[in-house]
Amino acid sequence: MKKQQKTKPNFSKSHQLYVKRLKKDKFVINFFRVFVLVAFLGIWELLTYYKVLDPFFVSSPSRIFAQIGTMAQNGTLLTHSWVTLYETLIGFGIATAVGYVIAVLLWWNEKVRKVFEPYIVVLNSLPKIALGPVIILWVGAGTSAIVLMCVLICIVITIMSMLSAFLAVEEGKILLMKSMHASKLQILFKLVLPSSMPEFVSVLKINVGMSWVGSIMGEYLTSKAGRGYLIVYGGQIFKIDLVMASTMILCILAFGMYYFVSLLEKKYNPGAKS
Amino acid sequence: MKNLLTFKNVNYFYQTKNDEIFALNNVNFDVEENSFVSLVGPSGYGKTTILSLTAGLLTPSSGKITLDGEDKIDIKKIGYMFQKDFLFEWRTVWKNITLGLEIQKPKDKEEKLAMAEELLKKYDLYGFKDQKPRSLSGGMRQRVALIRTLTMEPKLLLLDEPFSALDYQTRLSVCDDVYEIIKSEQKTAILVTHDISEAISMSDKIIILTSRPATVRETLSLNLEGTSPLKKRETPTFASLFDHIWRQLSNEETAKNKT
Ligand SMILES: Nc1ncnc2c1ncn2[C@@H]1O[C@H](COP(=O)(O)OP(=O)(O)OP(=O)(O)O)[C@@H](O)[C@H]1O
Ligand SMILES: [Mg+2]
Repeated sequence: MKKQQKTKPNFSKSHQLYVKRLKKDKFVINFFRVFVLVAFLGIWELLTYYKVLDPFFVSSPSRIFAQIGTMAQNGTLLTHSWVTLYETLIGFGIATAVGYVIAVLLWWNEKVRKVFEPYIVVLNSLPKIALGPVIILWVGAGTSAIVLMCVLICIVITIMSMLSAFLAVEEGKILLMKSMHASKLQILFKLVLPSSMPEFVSVLKINVGMSWVGSIMGEYLTSKAGRGYLIVYGGQIFKIDLVMASTMILCILAFGMYYFVSLLEKKYNPGAKS
Repeated sequence: MKNLLTFKNVNYFYQTKNDEIFALNNVNFDVEENSFVSLVGPSGYGKTTILSLTAGLLTPSSGKITLDGEDKIDIKKIGYMFQKDFLFEWRTVWKNITLGLEIQKPKDKEEKLAMAEELLKKYDLYGFKDQKPRSLSGGMRQRVALIRTLTMEPKLLLLDEPFSALDYQTRLSVCDDVYEIIKSEQKTAILVTHDISEAISMSDKIIILTSRPATVRETLSLNLEGTSPLKKRETPTFASLFDHIWRQLSNEETAKNKT
């Protein structure tokens, strides 16, 4: 589509107007996006400045930024953020990869799938946090427990979503492959996996959110460092600025990760409305 | 002439959880080598079932199907063009067309690639070679599916209503083209269609089916003069044949409604 536009520079008047309107709409939307954020922070700051709200309980933007500044100076900004980011990325990676492979195996063998289906459903409805103490017993307190928590939270939904995407491939397309004498492996690699790419990207998106839940929950359970640790710690010593600053950093990190995934979406699912 | 395909007393039941659907009842027919055979009959009469059996995608519940002298169907001898185009949206037009070659890796792959390119040019699709199917119209998609089938150079072509998404004009000319390709390449084809005049203009033989459980009601051997389907439509016997088949099918409908 883009190519055509380049080779055809002379558009009609109405098209120019249309493009102009699109641009204007986009500007207005972006303006209000920033406006909402600024207004929110501004009102928050004012309310705490005039002591309508007690900054001891709700903190304030200026205190949060000051807190972030201190952390940046003494180096804890990066170290603690890195700990949590690391746990999240590892958990996210393992859960996505292993879950995907399990889904492929379940697609491959119908009987195995039927056997495991009820277990997966039960696992999915189980609140994974309930396994916390067991996890610590098994792998010990520390990073591996946190990563495992993260994996447990993401993996079941990965298996379920990918499996249903694999099974949703049109029967007729499978017949077409069969009529071309394709082996099951060829059907998998040339039809089933590529046609489930859009679902894979949406699984990635879901897992971004879930893996942060996993790592923060893990840190609540057992940790000596990380953003989740600081949030719990800050809460215990009533240092709400630390809690808020850490939450804000989490927001930024999670959004960054989500952004990378949505770049993939443009590549594999260009038809999707973002 | 030698028979490429024979159906002998073929029965087929679709098995579902709650039911057993008796789709084909004692179907008998044969297809000579290098001939063009049409299967006609309204929707749900078992035309697709016959093609799926021929392609070896279904196995007869009883009876025998012989392809090229063998009881075991060699799927590589068959090119199946389905009722839907089933193009893969994530592949370009070219990659869709060469899918079969990618899967089977035939020895003469280069020649077949060259042929695919020729066919693309012939059907005015060469400019869309590197586009995704999304940007094609329904008729263009169907032509791509047709080329995908022809590229495999199968001995027996199975065409399940290949022209249904084309407008009338294109349909006539694509019919002509397909007919010409099949005749010049000395191929054998079975065409499924609802369109009686299409069947008459293209076929050497027409097989009329009865309603479910389908059996062969009548086999008509045609010998129309004329070199192309379009010309055949102008022959005097065309109209009387049309009338005959139409009566057969509508008798079938009324018989079905009575029971
Ligand atoms: N997978 C299936 N399971 C159960 N019954 C089926 C299945 N496929 C087809 N049938 C039944 O078999 C009969 C013949 O179906 P078939 O698809 O061969 O018809 P058709 O002549 O190709 O119809 P159309 O012109 O609409 O494509 C139909 O009545 C249908 O209900
Ligand atoms: Mg059909």
